[in-house]
Amino acid sequence: MAATGTERDAELERLRTRVAELEAELVEQAARTERIVAAAQQRTYWLDRWHLDLDALMRRRAVGAPLDTAFRALRKLRHGVQRARRRLSGS
Amino acid sequence: MSRVSVVIPVKDGERWLPELLAALAREAPDEVLAIDSGSRDGSVELLRAAPGVTLLEIPPAEFGHGRTRNLGAERASGEIVAFLTQDATPLPGWLAALRAGFALDERVGAVFGPHLPRLDTSPMVARELERHFAGFAGPGGGPSLHGAGDEPFLSNVNAAYRRDCWEQLRFRDVPYSEDQAFGRDLLAAGWLKAYVPQMAVLHAHDYGPLEFMRRYFDEYRGLRATAGHVEAFRPLGALRTVRAETAADLRWMRERGMPAGARARWAARATVHHGGRRVFSALGSRAERLPAPVRGRLSLEGRGDGGGSSASVPPATPMTPRRTEDPYGAATRVMRDGPAPLLPPAPGLAERERLRIALVLPPWRRGSGGHNTLMQLLSRLERRGHVCTVWLHDPHGELRAARPAVLRRQLDEWFAPFAGPVYVGFEDWHGADVAVATGWQTVHPLLLLDQTHARAYLVNDHEPEFFGTSTERALAQDTYRHGIHCVAASPWLRDLMTDRYGAPADAFQLGVDHAVYAPRADVARRADTVVYYARHSTDRRAVPIGLMALGELHRRRPQTRVVLFGTDRPPPTTFPYDHLGVLSPPQLAALYAEATVGLCLSLTNFSLMPKEMLACGLPCVELAGVSAESIFGSDGGPLALAPLDPVALADALERLLDDRAEWERRSRTGIEFVASHTWDVATDEVEAGLRHALAQP
Repeated sequence: MAATGTERDAELERLRTRVAELEAELVEQAARTERIVAAAQQRTYWLDRWHLDLDALMRRRAVGAPLDTAFRALRKLRHGVQRARRRLSGS
Repeated sequence: MSRVSVVIPVKDGERWLPELLAALAREAPDEVLAIDSGSRDGSVELLRAAPGVTLLEIPPAEFGHGRTRNLGAERASGEIVAFLTQDATPLPGWLAALRAGFALDERVGAVFGPHLPRLDTSPMVARELERHFAGFAGPGGGPSLHGAGDEPFLSNVNAAYRRDCWEQLRFRDVPYSEDQAFGRDLLAAGWLKAYVPQMAVLHAHDYGPLEFMRRYFDEYRGLRATAGHVEAFRPLGALRTVRAETAADLRWMRERGMPAGARARWAARATVHHGGRRVFSALGSRAERLPAPVRGRLSLEGRGDGGGSSASVPPATPMTPRRTEDPYGAATRVMRDGPAPLLPPAPGLAERERLRIALVLPPWRRGSGGHNTLMQLLSRLERRGHVCTVWLHDPHGELRAARPAVLRRQLDEWFAPFAGPVYVGFEDWHGADVAVATGWQTVHPLLLLDQTHARAYLVNDHEPEFFGTSTERALAQDTYRHGIHCVAASPWLRDLMTDRYGAPADAFQLGVDHAVYAPRADVARRADTVVYYARHSTDRRAVPIGLMALGELHRRRPQTRVVLFGTDRPPPTTFPYDHLGVLSPPQLAALYAEATVGLCLSLTNFSLMPKEMLACGLPCVELAGVSAESIFGSDGGPLALAPLDPVALADALERLLDDRAEWERRSRTGIEFVASHTWDVATDEVEAGLRHALAQP
């Protein structure tokens, strides 16, 4: 049975609404993606400014492993100090 | 196994031919073809008598190093064609090594091996051969493969070619160095060549000192003809080289246990050898400048022809591509393939609250006025909820040292707050609702961007006028002819776009940052100071005319203080002035607050600076008849307009300095006039323009 004019108009309206929804989703998704890229650029500013590729640097066996060990040790020490201070202050 | 044919060009080769033929009989290639070009010794008889050798005789005049070898390859039947010279004797294992070279890779088009000195070869030549071929050896002294970018050296004293490769390239018909030319052609065509140390021959030209020099003359003449190489010659450098080479020869002889007496004898000979080589190689590569009889005397082959007489084309220098893309390559692609298709129109998109806006920027510098305008607008569009991105188009690599995070921070700190990302180039292009060009250089790349619903063009100025008759001028004019919706930075510019180029266009008014540029109660205004934006590196600022006007003003009013700013390099003038260099916006605002009259000229679109002067209560003189009237009305409103004439400009400045009532009126009306010219209003107008671009059918 052929659709009446009213039904066709309603279907068209429904489709237009759906397109608008999808467009809005696309914009929201684009906004989120661009925010993530911008945030990453914000974080890597000093690395980029100094042309430092940390990933490449850490992959060098002579530099990466000792640096990683040193940072882990420092982090452990810091956590230890924080724990000790919490215990001493009773918090 | 591939058939191997050996081709030997012969001319009076009786001295070494028996040794060569015996070595070939031992190696047993599938075919031996000798081509004699008029031998007068017993070469022909030797070849006729040699079993398994096919002899082809050609007239001497038909001989050519490339031509004759092509003939040999045509006549030979092997899938591999090896060339030996008549004085090169293969050592045992030569043929097996040759085959092994081709087996290294199916892309190997040619294989060559070392030339080893004979027992009586002079130490200089022996050492040179040893050093030369050692450089081609692979790891551990084994075979090596050479591809594009490697040394193209090949020597037909001892080389073999895959027939497919030879058929594709063939030897050039050149007087000398056909092998070197083939080496270059081979690598350029994507073939590989292989060096196999075991594919060795005994071969050394040992001549007397003068013969050596004449041979170098011929060799370097050949190099000039085939590769365009010109041997440098600096007397002091040559002396140093001769000393170093002689010392190296003596070291080489000592290492091989040569007695001191023999070393001393060779020392003198080595000095002459290396010295003669420097001089004759330099002469050889400049042979075309020498008279024919001199060339004939200097050439070992007695060749007096120059290959470079005044009536012939001089040797060309082959150049390899040094760019992957022309700076304006996008224009070529647009002209060849047309713009990328736009996405089909989406109903209601032009009215949608949030748009994805991609701004394509040319490179910037701190203080760039055009970029300030663009970023003031983009910053506000972003604050209104639009998803904004910046795409840097930098074909000349002006900002290549800076990475995206740094570029982003520059835009944010130098121009206006910006929270979006910055992309360099278009590799990561992921589409937009509207892609916006911002300068003539950005338009052609923008036209190639796909996944976009609309294109717009923020036109800051009529950029063809920035250039004389040139490629840049023509390409800049072309940018207005692609139907991109223009959003122009003044009504004058909008009318120019529509009237001259037929482009759809809207206009926006440049905004003023009233938080910075405002009257200052805390700064006392001077009574007799003219400030002038003298950016003489920007031609459209008409600085010479401005300086002539100020010179005229100084002649009339020597007591008037003149202050120039906007450039680091103080321009030379006929009058004294104070120079302030490039100032920040707050410094500019302070300057405008204390000055009496401003002068700022533009030969094209009206710029922001006079508006900023007016916002600070500083009356300003500008050029009449260009673009200011489209903003301020035919009488200039608060602006004092004067024709492009130093005397008339000086008159206008003097009137404002002398007439207090006139000054007061213009100062007041200027503040009132620009009060409504804000970046928010400008952003409203630009946003409307972008939406018009989206609604454009």
